Amino acid sequence: MSERGTPSERSSEMTSARRKAVVSVGFALLALAAAILLAACGSGIEEPPAEAATGKGNEVEVEAKPSGDLTISNWPYYIDKQTVPDFEKATGVSVKYIEDVNSNEAFLAKMKPLLANGESGGRSLMVVTDWMARKMHELGYLQEFEPAAIPNFEKNLADNLRAASYDPGRDFAAPWQSGMTGLVVNTEKAPDVHTICDLFDPKYKGKVEMLNELRDTVPLVMKCEGVDVEHATEADWLKAIEKIKGAAESGQIRRFTGNDYTTDMSNGNAVAVIGWSGDAVQLQADNPNIEFRMPEEGCILWSDNMVIPVGAPNPTAAEAWINYVYDPVNQAQIEAFVNYVSPVEGTKEVLLKEEPEIANNKLIFPPPSFTKNCSIQPSPGTPKEEQKINQAFNAVLNG
Amino acid sequence: MSASASAPSRAWHWLREHAVLIIGVLVVIYLLVPIAVIFFFSFNNPSGRYNFTWVGFTLSHWENVFGIPELNEALWTSIKLALLATVISTVIGTMMALALVRHQFFGRRAANFLIVIPMATPEIVMGSSLLSFFLILGNPALGFNTLLIAHIMFCISFVVVVVRSRLIGFDRHLEEAAKDLGASPFTTFRLVTLPLIMPGIFGAAMLAFALSIDDFVISNFNSGTTVTFPLYIFGAFQRGVPVEVNCIAMILFGVTVLAMVATTLQQRRAEKMASVRPDQEEEIPIVVSTVGAA
Amino acid sequence: MAALRSRVSAYGLLLPGAFWLIVFFVVPLYFLGRLSLDTNELTYYKFNWHWQNYSDALSLYDTQFVRSFIYSGLATLICLLLAYPLAYAIAFKAGRWRHALLLAVVAPFFTTYLIRTISWVTILSAESPVVEVLEFLHIVNNGRLLATAPAVVAGLVYNYLPFMVLPIYASLERLDTRLMEAAKDLYANAATTFFKVTLPLSAPGVVAGTLLTFIPATGDYVNAEFLGGPGNQMIGNVIQSLYLKQQEYPAAAALSFVLMAIILVVVLIYIRFAGSEALMGEEGMAR
Repeated sequence: MSERGTPSERSSEMTSARRKAVVSVGFALLALAAAILLAACGSGIEEPPAEAATGKGNEVEVEAKPSGDLTISNWPYYIDKQTVPDFEKATGVSVKYIEDVNSNEAFLAKMKPLLANGESGGRSLMVVTDWMARKMHELGYLQEFEPAAIPNFEKNLADNLRAASYDPGRDFAAPWQSGMTGLVVNTEKAPDVHTICDLFDPKYKGKVEMLNELRDTVPLVMKCEGVDVEHATEADWLKAIEKIKGAAESGQIRRFTGNDYTTDMSNGNAVAVIGWSGDAVQLQADNPNIEFRMPEEGCILWSDNMVIPVGAPNPTAAEAWINYVYDPVNQAQIEAFVNYVSPVEGTKEVLLKEEPEIANNKLIFPPPSFTKNCSIQPSPGTPKEEQKINQAFNAVLNG
Repeated sequence: MSASASAPSRAWHWLREHAVLIIGVLVVIYLLVPIAVIFFFSFNNPSGRYNFTWVGFTLSHWENVFGIPELNEALWTSIKLALLATVISTVIGTMMALALVRHQFFGRRAANFLIVIPMATPEIVMGSSLLSFFLILGNPALGFNTLLIAHIMFCISFVVVVVRSRLIGFDRHLEEAAKDLGASPFTTFRLVTLPLIMPGIFGAAMLAFALSIDDFVISNFNSGTTVTFPLYIFGAFQRGVPVEVNCIAMILFGVTVLAMVATTLQQRRAEKMASVRPDQEEEIPIVVSTVGAA
Repeated sequence: MAALRSRVSAYGLLLPGAFWLIVFFVVPLYFLGRLSLDTNELTYYKFNWHWQNYSDALSLYDTQFVRSFIYSGLATLICLLLAYPLAYAIAFKAGRWRHALLLAVVAPFFTTYLIRTISWVTILSAESPVVEVLEFLHIVNNGRLLATAPAVVAGLVYNYLPFMVLPIYASLERLDTRLMEAAKDLYANAATTFFKVTLPLSAPGVVAGTLLTFIPATGDYVNAEFLGGPGNQMIGNVIQSLYLKQQEYPAAAALSFVLMAIILVVVLIYIRFAGSEALMGEEGMAR
């Protein structure tokens, strides 16, 4: 059933020699194209990928005054609406603020090809969680600050954040906000949930959710097991992951979520979840029965940090931004909206005058008694352990 | 038979007679329900960030459809990408279709195979293989250009199949008539062939545009930091899809429906002119592309 | 001479498309294979034969593989059962409404894939009327419909139904109704007519529709992402996580390759069983 065409076409015959000639020409052309291409790729493959610029000694060169454009990558709902316009007015820098960080790992995966080549895709400032900041620094993807350009930071950084394990000298990571990971419960439907272990109570089967962030969920479950998370061994991590796996397989845990546990809490799909302190304030506005509960075993403390990537087009403006937000007055404006834990000393005093209920909110300015059982967010020890633990955890997430 | 006994049996009989039609209508309703939901929720006024429960009616999101800069950028990127990919893949695909239908040559079977294989490959495999390709080539900046390359690649197959089906039903006598009247092959092509297959080319172009603007999987792997409309939605799902997304989706929907209707009417007119057999339903390009010569 | 010019012009017309497909489809598949054999330190410039990636991947993720095939198989079957009556109705019983119905079938394509899947999250959420009705009918308890396997399969069915309807419709539409009349004249009842005349004649459409549904459904991950829970993830989710989250490229590449290989085998068996012309439209078939 092949097309026969019109008689005029059918009547033209080709000699076999000519046919062979044309065929070989066609193939030669294709082969040539393929050869050229493979040769081009081949040369690319022979060399190892470009060496990443080392982080040590990458220092920002300070110019006289910030100017130009500033592109910032941050997590969603992490800033109020006024700060960016105010900053632009104060400094004359034009800011492009994008909220494209949804998960540390996904962000790194996305940025890695750029950062490995010394580029940042236009960004001069990024906000990532502490362990990711350390990882990026070790990979050589970050620049170090010029202390002279950020006096407010040097002056006002909260004392308990000064000597952080992931950046002891505070050379490359400036906390944007801190936060607590704990329990978010619907007090009407799950009144007895006070500990992480309560999340495994079969009474709440299918209505419990946990975060898909390894370093939030697993340490909390380790706390339920009585482990000192800041000195946890690989075996401790894996044991906790096993426990989570059992709960997932039995249907106890409905889902592993990112930010979207807030939907499920709002519409009743879930009644008790592992969540973040900042979200609880927003959720209460939707439904007064939802609140953040400090687990009896304690919470996990973490910070999201501002970092300057290699290849940043305007590091001066980035540092100006850091300096700007470390002014307690400006920080108070952010804090009133964001409702996480402020890293800037003096913010509470400013807010006491203007919005005292925020200043006295335990979740936003936690007194030491509130966080007495809390631990700093831990990370697995060596890269090999990290890989193994990651694999085990992701195997649970992926069912 | 008393009236009460025959009424249920009559009803049952009617049901059996029309069972197929009833099932058909139910399935169509099932297909349309989510679209209706999208439409209704574009008028929703959610109190929080998430648009999953009905709260109240408002027109504010429709009034402010283009009020979210990130969304607009993503939409504009998608449209640019789709336009470029459509134009390039339609040209390349039409050329291929002409070659395959009109000429006998060695390697025709292989070429056919080459065209069909991408349509039979899961998108995730295509996306991941392209990513591997770009990674091994030494990390070129993934972005608009890599997306464009990917989109053209998967559109070509569909364009070829659609245009080819259109060419198959084409009456060669018209071209012969033109040749008999002294027209050169190029003129014949330009003045006779091309206008008559234009509806098919246009249909293929529309298909390519739809595929490109809706592509998620392949784009997700190869976009780097560029954000297309589907990628924006995926990212937004975590933190709350704004209602404006629903509005834009309905706008796209409306535009596409109008375009489909217009093309159908146009094709009907062209069919009459080209004496293509009228029982060939060609306004659904996907149909013909999949069945081929079945 | 004309024939030579014909051949050259054929190759000329073919070249750009063939070039693009070879460079950006065939070659990447080669690189995918190569990456799948690499070690985790990613030595792109040396050809490793690290077959262990395959055995690791298969042993770690076999549940997800099996689950993907089960879900997509179920979804394909359900699609077939729903699509055939619809296609039949449109082809033979719709009359004037044919075009409108076809438009309705294709309409879901006009909304972005993601949005229509997300709208199912709305429809199936615990406080929606749909779930309340189902609870009333005791089909569902505890209001839990999302993050379950049925939700994922339902999503797959919805998203791929048009792919099944259209080919079946196309082949039914080309059917000569006189054949069905003839069967009736020969005293066949409706069921016999259907099974002995209609169904075999529409087989190419059924084959095409089945393949068009099954193949993409197996690699799907959007439905599982939005509608599924941790126990419902498909192999597509795993591949995506490995690439875009864990950055274990060799494992991800190995999984992709295995997925493609399995699908190819299934398709080949199916075609051999059902007839080979359905998928590969034979060249230039004028009817």
